[in-house]
Amino acid sequence: MSASTSNRTPGDRRVIQIGPFHPLLEEPVGFELTVEGEKVVHVDACMEYIHKGIERLAQERTYDMVPILLEKICGICSVTHSVCFCNAAEDLLQVEIPPRASYIRTIIGELERLHSHLLWVGLAGHFIGYNTVFMWAWKYREPVCDVFEMLTGHRQNSSLPIVGGVRRDIPESYFPEARRAMDRLDEQVEMLTAAVLDDPVLAARLKGIGVLTPQEVVDWGVVGPTARASGVDTDVRRDEPYAAYEELDWKVITTENGDVFDKAVVRLLEIRESISIIRQCLEKIPGGELNLGQQHIPRGEGIGRYEAPRGEDIHYLRSNGTNMPERLKVRAPSFTNVASFEVSCIGESIADVTITLAACDPCYSCTERTAVVRGVDGRPTHTFQDLVRLSQDKTRALAREMGREPGLNLL
Amino acid sequence: MESTDLGKRLESAFVDRVEWTARSQKRLYVSIAPAQLYPVFDWLRENIPGFRLGTSTGIDLREGVGVFHHFVVNGMPLVVTLKVIASKPDPRVPSLAAKIPSARWIEREMAEMLGIEFEGHPDPRRLLKAEAFSDIYPQRRGFDTRAFKESIGERLDF
Repeated sequence: MSASTSNRTPGDRRVIQIGPFHPLLEEPVGFELTVEGEKVVHVDACMEYIHKGIERLAQERTYDMVPILLEKICGICSVTHSVCFCNAAEDLLQVEIPPRASYIRTIIGELERLHSHLLWVGLAGHFIGYNTVFMWAWKYREPVCDVFEMLTGHRQNSSLPIVGGVRRDIPESYFPEARRAMDRLDEQVEMLTAAVLDDPVLAARLKGIGVLTPQEVVDWGVVGPTARASGVDTDVRRDEPYAAYEELDWKVITTENGDVFDKAVVRLLEIRESISIIRQCLEKIPGGELNLGQQHIPRGEGIGRYEAPRGEDIHYLRSNGTNMPERLKVRAPSFTNVASFEVSCIGESIADVTITLAACDPCYSCTERTAVVRGVDGRPTHTFQDLVRLSQDKTRALAREMGREPGLNLL
Repeated sequence: MESTDLGKRLESAFVDRVEWTARSQKRLYVSIAPAQLYPVFDWLRENIPGFRLGTSTGIDLREGVGVFHHFVVNGMPLVVTLKVIASKPDPRVPSLAAKIPSARWIEREMAEMLGIEFEGHPDPRRLLKAEAFSDIYPQRRGFDTRAFKESIGERLDF
C-alpha cells in the first residue's frame, strides 16, 4: 500500500511513528514524522529509552576503570569513547603518550572506522532495496572484526586505552595476516565503490535528497562524514591531531552536494583512507614503552576530542584531585547529527525518509522499524515493512523509467 | 589562532567583563556573567570563521549551577569554553538555543538533569526523562541513587 492510496484530503496532517526498536541496531530511539500527503513537514525525536547514566557511573569509578566503562556506551564506537576520555585526561595532565601507544590507538581506531562504515554501507543498501550491497558489505566487514580480535583479543571491546597510553601490546606475529586482510579488503572495497558510484539508478535515487547546506551544518553543529559531504572541511584527526595521525600520510575526504549520495561517497572513500592508514601504521609502528605508568591526577579540567566514525566526539573532564572524576560530560556525534533531521527531512517524501534518517549513520536502533501510520479511523495503514517497501519500490520504479535492470541485482 | 591571543583580544573587546585562563595553546576557558553570554557569543561568532557549539556541560558546583558551553572551531585545534554560573536555588541563564539551533537538545538535557531554566529557549520540552520524574534532578549534588531506585515502582505504573 502506498501513502497516496489511503483516503484523505490534501493538506491532511498525520503523524507517523518510526521506532523505537529495531534488531539491526543497538539502541532504541523513536521518531514522529508529521506528514502532509507524502511530504514530511515536521520531525520530532523521542530519545533515551535506555538512559544508562554512564556519566554518573563514571564519576563513581577510578581513572583506570573509566575507559572500560566508556567502551560500553556504544556497540560500535568502543575505541572512540575510551580514547576520547584518555585525550581529555591527557589534556588535563598535559602529557604526551609514548609513540608505540599512539600507533596502537591509531590502528584500533581505524579498524573501528572500517567496520563501522562497512556496516553503514550495508544498511543503506538494504533500505533502498540493494540487498546485494548489504550482503557484500557485511561479508567484507567480518574479516575486519577478525583482525581486531587477532590484535586485541575481542571483536569490539579492546580494553586497550588507559590514561597515558595503552594497557597491553598488540602481537606483531599477527601483522602479516592483518596486512593480507587489508590487501583483500582494499580490492573488495574498490570493486564495491566502483559498482556503487557507477550505478545510474543509485545516483538517480540518492542525489538531491536529504540535503544539508554548509550553513545548516554549522548552525546545527553537524560533524563527521555528514558535515564533510556538505563541503565543510572538518576532521579532528587533522585539525587537532591525536594518536599518530600527524606522522601519517592521508587525506580528508570532502564533497560538495550534501545529499545522501555524497554521504555514501565520503564514507566509501574514507574506507580506502583507513586501509591506507592501517597499512602505514603496521609498517612504521615503533617499539618502546606502552604507557606512562601511574599518574597523579591534579585538580583541574580537560577536554578531549576524537574523530569517531560518525564525527567529532567530545569529552569534558573535571577533576577535584581524587582518583575519580568529579564530572564527565560525554557528547557523542549522533547527538548533534540526529538533531539535524529537523532540517534534512523536512520536505522529503516518506519513501526518502528512511534513507535520509540512515544517511548520518545514527548510532541508535532508531531509524526504522515499527512504523505505524494511523488512518482517520484509528486503524494502522502502514507498517515498517510497508515503509521499507515504499523506499525499495521507488528504486525499482526509477530503474524501470530508465529502461534498465538495476546493475546490482535489486532484491 | 592560539588560545592566549584570543583571550587577549576578548579582554580588549570586553574590558572587565571577561576573565580568561588558557590551560594550553588549545584550550581557552572564559568566565562571564549570565548577562554577557549573548554579547560574547556574538563577538566570537563574528570574529572566528567556522565557530560552532561542540557541546555544553551542566555541573552542580558549590557556588551555583555551572553551564559551560564548549565551542570548537572547524579546522583549528581550539576549544573555547564559556562558563556561566547560575545562582541556586533557582538557577536561570539565557538560552543559547535562541541564537543557534545546535544548543537546543543539550539545553533541554541540562534543564532536565540539573533543573536549570533556560530563558528564551524556543522548544523547552522534555527530552530524556519520563514525566513521572520531572521533579528529580539526577546530576545535582546529593542525588540519592538508592532512594531513586526504590521510588521508581511508586512513580511508574508498569
